[in-house]
Amino acid sequence: MHHFTRQPHIDHPLARIDPRLKLFCACLLLVMVISCGSVGFPLAVAAVCGGATLAAGVSPKRFAVRFAEPLFIAAVVLLLKLLFSGHTPLWSCRLPWFTLTVHREGLLEGAVIASRILGTVSLVALLGFTTTFTELMAALSWFRCPKGFVDVALFAWRYLFVLFDDAMVVYHAQRNRLGYAGIRRGLRSFGALSGALVIKAFDNSQNITTAMVQRGYDGDLPLLSHRPLKGREVLASAALLACAGMLRVL
Amino acid sequence: MPALILTFLLLFLAAPAYAMHISEGILPLGWAVAGFAVAAPFVLLGLRRLNSLAKEDLSFKPLVGLMAAVVFIISCMPIPVPTAGTCSHPCGTGMAAILVGPLVSVVVTAVALLIQALFLSHGGLSTWGANILSMGVAGSFAGWLAFRLMRRFGAGLGFSGFVAGVLADWATYLTTSMELAAGIRGDSPFLPLAWKIAAAFVPTQLPLGILEGAMTAGMVTLLWKKRPDLLVKMRVVGGEGSPKARGVGFCALLLAAALSLASINPRPALCAEKWTGVDEAVVEKIAKEHGRQAHRPLIDTDQGDLLLFVFLLAGAAGGFAAGYYWRMLIAEKGKSLNPAKED
Repeated sequence: MHHFTRQPHIDHPLARIDPRLKLFCACLLLVMVISCGSVGFPLAVAAVCGGATLAAGVSPKRFAVRFAEPLFIAAVVLLLKLLFSGHTPLWSCRLPWFTLTVHREGLLEGAVIASRILGTVSLVALLGFTTTFTELMAALSWFRCPKGFVDVALFAWRYLFVLFDDAMVVYHAQRNRLGYAGIRRGLRSFGALSGALVIKAFDNSQNITTAMVQRGYDGDLPLLSHRPLKGREVLASAALLACAGMLRVL
Repeated sequence: MPALILTFLLLFLAAPAYAMHISEGILPLGWAVAGFAVAAPFVLLGLRRLNSLAKEDLSFKPLVGLMAAVVFIISCMPIPVPTAGTCSHPCGTGMAAILVGPLVSVVVTAVALLIQALFLSHGGLSTWGANILSMGVAGSFAGWLAFRLMRRFGAGLGFSGFVAGVLADWATYLTTSMELAAGIRGDSPFLPLAWKIAAAFVPTQLPLGILEGAMTAGMVTLLWKKRPDLLVKMRVVGGEGSPKARGVGFCALLLAAALSLASINPRPALCAEKWTGVDEAVVEKIAKEHGRQAHRPLIDTDQGDLLLFVFLLAGAAGGFAAGYYWRMLIAEKGKSLNPAKED
């Protein structure tokens, strides 16, 4: 949670592309990457998306933090596959209790999964960094995603940071009063923190509803209105997808 | 020895605070689509329930949105896992299911997972369906059913919350293990790998589940002390069973436990001896005597795991229907818990 902050404002041509096109291209590319049985295409997607994210002005530190967990998981999956999959020995090492054998098939399978993880994570990171949540929800709504889901997601996003700040205040107050000294006490404090958050959520929802009803809320949240799709952007997206498709087939 | 190494590695895999969800890109296309296909009906039913409740009470949608934010925050809070010597995080779905019901809790989880996937690379868009299935569907239904059952047996709020939290967490991990095994198995057989992964999660998840149970119990108890009106409004309290119903429920639980124990550890003598049914012992014999031997069936359910698969499907459908209409079947009949409505 420590690296989860409000979305930074990114002023880059990528951020100005229509979110519907970005979402559509990202979904298609995701399908291409996870259906790929080789290493090359996912790694190419990872390289292009990683480069684009950095070029868009995202700091390398922020990018590295975003990648830390998926990279770790990719490494562990690769290791698991190396040791436990396949039957053709590639390399072995005799240890006091057993022989550690790396298998050829395991290396190939592990590399494919690891490259898929890198490709998809960099793709979603690019989407997340260059598109605001509100734009994404408006795009989802345009793609006929159920309105109830979009509304709930928008409420969650709007009040996430408010509740997070409240949670941090309670957490630090508890810490300062040794609320987390010892497991038993820590658990009690954490339970109280969760309860306090739920109470705040209930109270906030009542207050929000009252305020919104006074402003004409009737159960539906207004969404961002989309500008007409630009021909140039559509053509560029089609070209990108065609190139990716050709690369994927090759 | 390889199993030990696997356990060790998976312990490492579970070690960071972000081990609850299947990472982006791990599942191949087929399994990712299957995850979406199974999770989608639950999300749609949850949305239908959300919309119907939001029509009665305009504050319900904002409340569910804020619950999603709470689940997001709770699932990002590291808590210590003593046996693993590390930190992990609770899922919070048991708590959400207790408060807003299992179907709406699926929506809450879906929203929290979407935000985590997009802005934390925790989970993923391609594994969104699978993660909704494990954390949202399995976690919510396990937690909610456990809470309702415990309340029906007359257990206190805190203890019921504890059991709900524990089971929601464990159900989530069991389902995640199955999905992970499906995703990374390659040519390896599915079930042994799934059990290995589930077993490897045990040292971390066993205590974490108990910690999550304690957290859920703490939350419910605090709400009961500070704001009992909220628990009444959300129908968390009230509608507990009569002493007779408690007795019947307790006997049913004992019977279920005995049956599950018997199925896990069948007596070797019973296993060794094949029991022939009436079809084989009588009907088939007489038919043979009259020259009417049995033909091979068009759909041979004895082949492979077809029968098992059909039973699994039927069980899932039956279980879902029973879970969905649980309130209607057993809980408060014509008794409103909402004082405003009664007025």
